[in-house]
Amino acid sequence: MAQSNPPFMSGVPELLLLRLLHEQEMYGYELVRSIKQVTKEAISLGEGVIYPVLHSLERNGALKSRRKAVSGRTRVYYSLTKKGRDRLAKLRNDWSRIQGGVATALESGANA
Amino acid sequence: MREPDFNDLAARLLKSGITPYHAHRTVNELRDHYDDLVDAAVDDGASSKIARRRAATELGTMEDFVTQMAAHRELKTWAFRYPQLAVVVYPLACLAILPAMPVFAGIAHRTTLMRWGISLLGAALVTAMMMLVMQLSIILG
Repeated sequence: MAQSNPPFMSGVPELLLLRLLHEQEMYGYELVRSIKQVTKEAISLGEGVIYPVLHSLERNGALKSRRKAVSGRTRVYYSLTKKGRDRLAKLRNDWSRIQGGVATALESGANA
Repeated sequence: MREPDFNDLAARLLKSGITPYHAHRTVNELRDHYDDLVDAAVDDGASSKIARRRAATELGTMEDFVTQMAAHRELKTWAFRYPQLAVVVYPLACLAILPAMPVFAGIAHRTTLMRWGISLLGAALVTAMMMLVMQLSIILG
């Protein structure tokens, strides 16, 4: 069972979605499953949480979508745009910087 | 948990200011997501009823979903994004359009207006003919 996500998770769904869509186009259900899988269930997003984020990213030009009929259902597949790739690079840098900073702080705190 | 009412969700999204495009598309995606969850639960061996209940629980409450959507300002109509502006622009737009409304109404109901026009013209002709006959009968005596 995945643990509940702490409040400082804000912004993480966006980063994960952009990262996964950098590899290949996916639809909502597939994305939620992939997030569980790649994070080894450490991060479990609510099933409905990703749609507002996906629509927001699309509205801002970071994603584009297309409808595709699969097994009698019309799926909405999302993929990254140039703007989305730039956004991913920026978020990735921000994340590395924050992660490094927090790790350093925790280590120095532990040594104190 | 009850089965999700997607029609009600669409109505609530629209009421919270989400654009019709995003509201309807999200509801369709969420409905497909729910169906996928049901299929996955059935594949795991759950009965149809339990699978639907489990899928509804995993999907979360519709209240939470509306709150999450409404938190994204860019998904809202401009009137909800700029309410102060809408309060000024809407009445001004109405005032500007008001004088042209009879013309627009005439264009929209042109077939009815033409029918009425032809009827009135016909009635006027019949009346004029009758008056002419009466005048002639008086004159010619």
